[in-house]
Amino acid sequence: MTETQNTAPVVNQRTSEFGEPIIEISHLQKSFGENHVLTDFNLTIRRGENVVVLGKSGCGKSVLIKCIVGLLKYDAGTLKVFGKEIKDLKHKELDHMRARIGFVFQSSALYDSMTVRENLEFPLRRQKHNKTKQEVKKLIEEMLDNVGLLYAINLMPSELSGGMRKRIGLARSLVLEPELMLYDEPTTGLDPITAKEISRLMLEMQRKYNTSSIIISHDMDCAKLTANRLVVMIDGVNYAQGTFEELNHINDPKVHAFFENQQI
Amino acid sequence: MKGKKEQTNQRATPKEPFWLSFLPAGVQDFLVETGDTTRFAGRFFQEAFLPPYEFKEIVRQSYEIGYKSLSLVGTTAFIIGVVLTLQSRPTLVRFGAEAWLPAMVSVSIIREIGPVLVALICAGKIGSGIGAELGSMKVTEQIDAMEVSGTNPFKYIVVTRIISTTLMIPLLAIMGDGIALYGSFLAVKTKGAVSATLFFHQVFQNLDFSDVLPAIIKTFFFGFVIGLIGCYKGYNSKNGTEGVGQSANSAVVVASLLVFVLDLIAVQITAFFGYI
Ligand SMILES: Nc1ncnc2c1ncn2[C@@H]1O[C@H](COP(=O)(O)OP(=O)(O)OP(=O)(O)O)[C@@H](O)[C@H]1O
Ligand SMILES: [Mg+2]
Repeated sequence: MTETQNTAPVVNQRTSEFGEPIIEISHLQKSFGENHVLTDFNLTIRRGENVVVLGKSGCGKSVLIKCIVGLLKYDAGTLKVFGKEIKDLKHKELDHMRARIGFVFQSSALYDSMTVRENLEFPLRRQKHNKTKQEVKKLIEEMLDNVGLLYAINLMPSELSGGMRKRIGLARSLVLEPELMLYDEPTTGLDPITAKEISRLMLEMQRKYNTSSIIISHDMDCAKLTANRLVVMIDGVNYAQGTFEELNHINDPKVHAFFENQQI
Repeated sequence: MKGKKEQTNQRATPKEPFWLSFLPAGVQDFLVETGDTTRFAGRFFQEAFLPPYEFKEIVRQSYEIGYKSLSLVGTTAFIIGVVLTLQSRPTLVRFGAEAWLPAMVSVSIIREIGPVLVALICAGKIGSGIGAELGSMKVTEQIDAMEVSGTNPFKYIVVTRIISTTLMIPLLAIMGDGIALYGSFLAVKTKGAVSATLFFHQVFQNLDFSDVLPAIIKTFFFGFVIGLIGCYKGYNSKNGTEGVGQSANSAVVVASLLVFVLDLIAVQITAFFGYI
C-alpha cells in the first residue's frame, strides 16, 4: 500500500476483482515552471476497472492523462502503462502503445478539415487492422449510432453543436476498440439525458471489451454510474480514493465538497 | 512591450548559451527565432526522407495550395504584364527602341518580377493560410489528437505542406510568367498591329537559358521558405485563439521578408556563375 502513504482518508482499494495492472503511477511529478501541478500522484488501475478522477478545475487532471499518453513529459516518478515506463519508450513503441489507448479530449479536438465520417476513419486508416472496407464502414456507422449521431455522418465539425462534437470525439476514440480509455470530461456540457446515455455507453464498452478507463468528470451522476472506484485529486496528490458510497459517507470536508448535491 | 519582456524572460532557459542574455532583447528574440526555425527545418529534412511517405496527403495539399491559388496568381500576373508593358513603352518610344519592348518586358518578367511577385502573393495567401490552419489545429488540440492516434503529426501535417509548397510555387511561377507575357502581348497589341507569333518570337529570341533556369531554381527555395515559415509559425502557435492570428500574421511577414533575402542571395549566386 505504499502508493497511498501520505494521503489522508484512504478507503479500502478492493482491486482483487479486476485483472492485471494496466496503469501504475507512483510519485508522479509535473511542473510548468513555478506551477507545480502534480506533486506526488499515485494510482494503479487494473484491467476492466473504471476509475473516476475528481478534482477542482485547474488542479491537473488533464495534465495527468496527457502524461499517461505521452503528450506531456513528466518530471519525476514512474508511470507504467501496459507494464512499460512511458519515459523510456521510443517513438515507434509509443505509437504502438497509443494504438491501444483511446483518448477523449476535453475540447473534442475534431479534425476541422474532415467530415464526421473521415474523422472516425482517420484512426483506422492510420493503424494496421484487418478489416475490409465494408467492415470499416459498418463499424463507423455502428459507433455513430452508439452516440446517437448517425445522421450527422456527412457533416463538418463546424456544423455540429458542442455536445455533438463531444460525442463524435468519443466515438472516434472508440473505433479502435482500445484496451484503455482516457475520458476527459466526456459528459460535460451535455443534457442529463444524453449524459446518461454516454455514461451507459462507457459502461458497455467496459463490459464488452473489458476496457479499463480513467474518467475525469464533475458529473456525479456519471461517476455514480460508471465508477468502480473514485480518486479525489487535491493539490497534485491523490487525496482520497474509494467507491462512490465510501467517499460519499466519508468525514472529510474536502472530499465531502464534491458530494454535496448527493446528500439530499 | 509587456509581451516582449515576458517572452525574453521565458527564454532565459539554461539550454541557451550564456552570452545570449547580454544582448538586447530584440536581438535575442531574433537569434532564438532563427535557431528554432533552423532546427525546425532540420527536423523537416530528417523526417521527409524516412518512410512512411504520405503521398496521398501531399497530393491533397498540392491541390489545396496550387490549384486554389491559380486564379489569384493568374489575375495579378496578367495585370502586371499589362501594366509593365504600358509603363515601359513611352520610354522606349522616346529612344526609338520600341522594337525592344517584348525583349525587355520578357527579361524582367522571367528573371525577376514573375518569380518574386508570385512568391509574395503566395506568401500572403498560402503562408497565412498554413499559419492560421496549423495554429488553430494546435490550439484546439487537433495536433495532439493526431499524435495520440499514432500518427506523426509533423510528418502528416508539416512535411506534406512544405513539400507541396516547394513543388507548387515553381509551377505557379511558371504559369504566372506565361500569363504575364500574354498580358504584355495584349498591351502591345492595343498600341499597334503585332501578331502573337511575332511577339513571342521576339520574346524567345532574346531569352536565354541563363535567364530562365536560375529564375526557376530560386522559386523552389521561395516555395520551401513559404511552407517552412507558415508551418513553423502555426505549429508553434501559443496563447489560444489570439495566437492563431499572430501566427498567420507573422508567417506572412517573415516569409515575404525571406523571399526578398533569398532573391538577393540568388542574384549574387547567378552573378558569381556569370549568368548576368
Ligand atoms: N501546456 C501547459 N503549459 C503550461 N501550463 C499548463 C499546461 N497545461 C496545463 N497547464 C497548467 O496546469 C494546471 C492544470 O491544468 P489542467 O488542464 O490539467 O487542469 P484540469 O484539472 O484539467 O482542469 P479542468 O477541470 O478545468 O479541465 C493549470 O494550472 C494550467 O495552468
Ligand atoms: Mg481538464
